[in-house]
Amino acid sequence: MKTHNLPLWALLFSLVLFVACDPEEPGDGPEPELITTLNYTLTPTDGEVVVLTFQDPDGDGGDAPVISSGTLSANTTYVGTIELLNESVDPVEDITEEVEEEDEEHQFFFMSTVAGLTVDYADQDEDDNPVGLTSSLTTGDASTGTLTINLIHEPQKDADGVATGDISNAGGESDIEVTFSIVVQ
Amino acid sequence: MYNRGYYIALVIILGAFLQCSAQDCDLTIRGYVIDESSQAPLAYVNLYIQETQSGTTTDETGFFSLDKICMGHYHIIVSHIGCEDEKFHCDILSDTILNLTLSHTPISLGTVVVSSQKEDYNNQANLSVNRSVIEDNSHLNISGLLENETGVSLLKNGNGISKPVVHGLYGNRLIILNNGVAQSGQQWGNDHSPEIDPFALDKITIIKGANALEYGSGNLGAVILSEPKRIAKEPHLHGQVNYAYETNGRGQTLNTRLGKYSEALAWRLTGSLKRYGDRETPDYFLNNTGLEEANLSIQLEKTYNEKIFLDFYASTFNTRLGVLRGSHISNLTDLERALSQEEPFFTEPDFSDEIEAPMQEVSHHLAKAKAKYFISDNQIIEFVVSGQVNNRKEFDIRRSGRSEIPALSLFQSTVGADLSYGFTTENNWKLKFGNQTAFAKNTNNPETGIFPLIPNYTTLKSGLFGTATYSKDALTYNFGLRYDIEDQIVLGLTTSFPREVVRYDNLFHNFSALVALTAHLSDQQSLSWNVGYAMRNPAINELYSAGLHQGVSGIEEGDPNLNQEKALKNTLEYKWVPGSQFAFNVLGYYQYFEDYIYLNPQDEFRLTIRGAFPVFSYEQADADIIGLDVSTQYTISNSLLGLLKYSYLKGENRGQGEPLIFMPPNSLFASLTYRGHNTRMLTESLNMEDTEIEVTNRYVFRQNNLLDEQDFLAAPEAYNLFGLKVSTNFILPQYKIRGYLKVDNLFNTQYRDYLNRQRYFANDVGRSLVIGLNLKF
Repeated sequence: MKTHNLPLWALLFSLVLFVACDPEEPGDGPEPELITTLNYTLTPTDGEVVVLTFQDPDGDGGDAPVISSGTLSANTTYVGTIELLNESVDPVEDITEEVEEEDEEHQFFFMSTVAGLTVDYADQDEDDNPVGLTSSLTTGDASTGTLTINLIHEPQKDADGVATGDISNAGGESDIEVTFSIVVQ
Repeated sequence: MYNRGYYIALVIILGAFLQCSAQDCDLTIRGYVIDESSQAPLAYVNLYIQETQSGTTTDETGFFSLDKICMGHYHIIVSHIGCEDEKFHCDILSDTILNLTLSHTPISLGTVVVSSQKEDYNNQANLSVNRSVIEDNSHLNISGLLENETGVSLLKNGNGISKPVVHGLYGNRLIILNNGVAQSGQQWGNDHSPEIDPFALDKITIIKGANALEYGSGNLGAVILSEPKRIAKEPHLHGQVNYAYETNGRGQTLNTRLGKYSEALAWRLTGSLKRYGDRETPDYFLNNTGLEEANLSIQLEKTYNEKIFLDFYASTFNTRLGVLRGSHISNLTDLERALSQEEPFFTEPDFSDEIEAPMQEVSHHLAKAKAKYFISDNQIIEFVVSGQVNNRKEFDIRRSGRSEIPALSLFQSTVGADLSYGFTTENNWKLKFGNQTAFAKNTNNPETGIFPLIPNYTTLKSGLFGTATYSKDALTYNFGLRYDIEDQIVLGLTTSFPREVVRYDNLFHNFSALVALTAHLSDQQSLSWNVGYAMRNPAINELYSAGLHQGVSGIEEGDPNLNQEKALKNTLEYKWVPGSQFAFNVLGYYQYFEDYIYLNPQDEFRLTIRGAFPVFSYEQADADIIGLDVSTQYTISNSLLGLLKYSYLKGENRGQGEPLIFMPPNSLFASLTYRGHNTRMLTESLNMEDTEIEVTNRYVFRQNNLLDEQDFLAAPEAYNLFGLKVSTNFILPQYKIRGYLKVDNLFNTQYRDYLNRQRYFANDVGRSLVIGLNLKF
């Protein structure tokens, strides 16, 4: 090897001298998009307010979610309002506002196996399509079953049946899908 | 379609006896072209002198003669039909005898590759894709180029994202070497393509035996070598420009390559640009399936003296890949709704070339320096240092403008150093020893605001290997041993609140070994047996995945207690080439795995606020893969060539008593090629030669080796695709332009492919026409 090649070799070898260092500390950053809590507050014209709650403060995985069940009065109409929270951050973030701001891109769907129980939309986005943050829930005779609330992000609101609450053609992806046990008595 | 049946690794032995006696323009260049292996004369080899625009073709005896040549410097192009051209420069000062030896090897049948670097691939089952195939398919990515090779399949997510599967193995079980450096990056993801620009390459070789010990640890059975060749000793600036337009996706590809050799420094520059819009099935557009790509690479070579050779290579690869909008779903209910649709959700009536979330943005940069020091005629030291940076961002549909923020953002940097020593003993043992060391650091960028699927980690790997090759009489022996040590340091977060940092420190020791034996039974037949044992460490995602893998809509859970995976692969290959008309090759293999790591769907569903998600856990079980690759080639006449290939594979999870999932279905490939030997003169200065018409047919069987409960949807039906390609070379003074026209999926067949994740949502792409032009100067 000629002498004038030495700097070149030195450069090559120096490239290999790296220091094996530890991985980066994982960022325990906030997860601002996470929805941890859904509250469906049902207020009858006369009688007791019922709140259906789905709560999973640590998000997917980790501890199992806590789901409340509800007892509703027969043949009653309730005004239903949905509240979405991110309780994993401090202060607690109100995700409901995000959905309100982008209401054309969101729609709630209500699916019930309780006989006689129906949910109608009581709000509209700017294109006069339903959103479902506010709804009207009507019970029939005494019965039991489940109520599933599904929030679809970017639904195709023009598709067949979507405006009347049929989810099958809505597309998009579920931001929320929770199921409550319901007793109507 | 991509394989041309023949490949010529041109070993030009310039037996040019130059005698200086100046004459007028009355010199002749004469000589013979012979086949290297059979020593038989080769007819129909074209020789063309660029400067004089004159050429000739060898006769039945392999003889050629070029007359009335003036004294001067010439570029001579040697071409043989269906093969890559070779061009060399020579000074003609007197009547010259030029004897050329062509290594005329039917590579498609997996025979030995003769390369200029004389790598020892002797006992390995190899396949290779050459430069002419790469040029004629510049619209494809590196995986796409390998699709029609026997034993190779593609694991896809739509048309733009694909990774190669060799003998049922992919991802972490396969090593891809880009220019001699093991490609790093996020190879664990089934929806992550290898980030390599094929246009910068001259050859892609697949080594199927379990014996590529010198290429790194963890490969349980196959290595893909992708490499550019040495810069030709060509003192003038030469290059090529390549353009292809594809109707399906309205895609455009532009490539260029420039190079020049000089004693001081030889250089080559390659650049590629690609842009595609939405692909189209026979019935509808696939919304958001476009892609963009911009790549650049530079290669520098310097020979200091007889003893030192230096080579530097740097490349940058940058891409944006759209993912079918209708395949972006959340939970199981969404999947059921999507499965019940005739057309995917969000299908638009019109073409669009916009790429929006869901999409991937990936860039990969590589720099490599290699030094070779020839100590003496039989000893060589090689030293390689390399650095790689991989930046992957995946974008999902998110609320409140967060679609602009990646949902997955990973940054990986890798540095490596390889040192090897090669030695040939007096009694002809070829020995090689070496060390490979690499350090990688993988970090989740905190920008996502989403709990990361895989933790941050660093790995330090170092391996020692030794290989030996010995040939005596009709037998060739190969032996190899390798030991690797890997240290993984992992920093993750707990999945429950309050989030705490968890640290893991793992140390693995791995051993690999191989024995291979080739018996040349006669001039026409050979039999190779190859057995290799290898270990693979569980990868970070297999150990520590925790959370939702949006790309597959499932919750994936790693197991920190996984053991190493061990594999024993046996291959037996028989080749029979009785003369120049017919060739036959069969390769059978059996690979047994102890503690095969796989994602096992669990019986439970994980309830989240977004609904129920399926849970997949990484588990281990003993497994095996058995397979057979058969290929035959038949030269029907001088101008008609037929090719038939068949691949069979069956994977079983022995521990669970069920089939292995994501195993390639069996397939059959046939092609018939017509080759016109005549040169057609179109005008005084425009000739047309080497016209080819090729009809191809690929039949993919249904994957029947699958239980209903192993997948959300039954495996799709078998499909049969036809293709057509017409290509020709236009010879102009100074230039050569190659033009080709190709139709893929000729009959616009509706189909879905088992290994394409998009199959849950949409049909595969329909008919497509590709028009390409390649100008060489």
